[in-house]
Amino acid sequence: MRVLPRARTTDTQQAAGQAWRFNATPYWFVLPYLFFFVVFRLGPSIAGLGISFTNWAAIGTPQWVGLANFQAMTRDPRLADALRNTAIFSLVTVPLLIVLGLALALFLNRQKPGRALGRVAVFTPYVIMSTVVGVLWTWLLDKDFGLVNLALSSFGLGKVPWLVSQDWALLGIVLTTVWWTVGYNMVLFLAGLQDIPAELYEAARIDGADSLGLFRHITIPLLAPTLFLVLMLTIINSFQVFDLVFVMTSGGPGTATLTLVQYIYTTGFQFLKFGYGSAIAVLLFVILVVFAVVQTRAYRRGLSGAQ
Amino acid sequence: MQNSKLLGNLVWYVLLGVIVVLALAPIGWMLSTAFKPEAQIATTEIVWIPRTPTIENFTKVLNNYPILRWTGNSLLVATAATILVLFLDSLAGYALARMEFRGRNLIFMLTIAMLFVPIQITVIPLFLLFSRLGLTDSYLALILPVGGNVTGVFLMRQFFLSIPSDLEDAARVDGANALRIWWSVVLPLARPALTAVAIITFLSTWNSFFWPLIVTRTDAVRTLPVGVAQFMSLRPGMVQGTQAFGQSMAGAVMAALPPIIVFMLLQRYFIEGISRTGIKG
Repeated sequence: MRVLPRARTTDTQQAAGQAWRFNATPYWFVLPYLFFFVVFRLGPSIAGLGISFTNWAAIGTPQWVGLANFQAMTRDPRLADALRNTAIFSLVTVPLLIVLGLALALFLNRQKPGRALGRVAVFTPYVIMSTVVGVLWTWLLDKDFGLVNLALSSFGLGKVPWLVSQDWALLGIVLTTVWWTVGYNMVLFLAGLQDIPAELYEAARIDGADSLGLFRHITIPLLAPTLFLVLMLTIINSFQVFDLVFVMTSGGPGTATLTLVQYIYTTGFQFLKFGYGSAIAVLLFVILVVFAVVQTRAYRRGLSGAQ
Repeated sequence: MQNSKLLGNLVWYVLLGVIVVLALAPIGWMLSTAFKPEAQIATTEIVWIPRTPTIENFTKVLNNYPILRWTGNSLLVATAATILVLFLDSLAGYALARMEFRGRNLIFMLTIAMLFVPIQITVIPLFLLFSRLGLTDSYLALILPVGGNVTGVFLMRQFFLSIPSDLEDAARVDGANALRIWWSVVLPLARPALTAVAIITFLSTWNSFFWPLIVTRTDAVRTLPVGVAQFMSLRPGMVQGTQAFGQSMAGAVMAALPPIIVFMLLQRYFIEGISRTGIKG
């Protein structure tokens, strides 16, 4: 955005010389992308919205039903469970991933021996694919022989029925998610921390600031854009949690780990209710947009408040 | 003074040790379990080094599941998708950043808008599209939709906006046409952005699960994440003996180790790529 004026001047110079003829070149540049974008992204998104207003079982023809799918949602106890589980999962996972990610970044940003090892170790789980993580943690969280319970019992704690109990299953998925993705947030925070000029800290230290003061008055304000971005990404990802749920619990036991996307999957591709499945996907979209707008507003307000 | 420094160092090393162990212990346990004979897996004591290491879990997985085929499929799909995206997005990103044309802002705004539209909305229409074309359960169904991804275009555009256009102007004065400038001046300059887009596209396609799960039916085109999910045919609560866990872990090791090794070798690029797209994006 900020360099746009420069690009514009060169374009106007060019346009001045060639104003009398239509320039096809830019279109040849964007056309290949545009084709894929329209056919595989924009088109299907609009079609998905359209299908959400129909009653469409896989084999039959779609029937326009207006808002009936959305009205049906209000009476759907499974959807209520899916919304509740997704909300609980996000409420627990997002703060954990933000706080732990930031703490790890701050800790491993210090000029101490071994920090490179720490960074690589924390990030390594993130390069493992989701389904492998799911299979691995199903074993780690096994009630009788899983490493987690064996470790807990060596501290004298009892066995936790992680994935087999309605009360614990969602927490098992939370634990797995945190282990798997905290390294990603750490890397984003580290990049943000490294963009803060070291002179700022030195100057403040000379002025007699202690480390808490440095953190509050330099690190946090200057890290705000990073914090905002990481928060957005983490929230968006946690609302869409699916892979681990699919592999580890399939939404069970009962509906204890049924999440929105898991419900979209079972509705659309197991019960083949395309209309209702699309409607739930639209609901997910609306939720994401609302959060993005609210967060952006809060962020802007925070920025203007700080100045 | 000396004492507090010593204490500080001690705290540092203890915390570092705890972090490294928590991060890597699950991976260590995966390796350990994979090399244990069935009888030694279901124990209530923690044994890190298998007493009698064996590779029978690996041979069983290789005999029972086409895991090499899944890996090959994933490699092929991720590579093809990455090449496709680099081609599409470096062209379009360049045009959106540097050229003036009718519809430019509309295209860019729609691209941005799609960043917020979850792909779950698109999967039902996409599935119907590929069914009509008779192309479900094909490589094309796995590769082509990646070309519609918007992150790469966005990143390439931002990158081109951030570099000066002097070299391109010089080439234009020398009479080079737009395509030539793009190929021999712009692309070499765009190396960092291309690397970042390549890494993200490859990783996200390699790890992609939702769409491949829906659109593949046979092992001929099934990708590794979808194949691996089959290891969990035994679900918690249904586990009859732990026979499956030795094999599951052997399969998990085979699927997880290549990316881990590549990451260890190329960690600088990985982390640069991610922080670039995260922050600068």
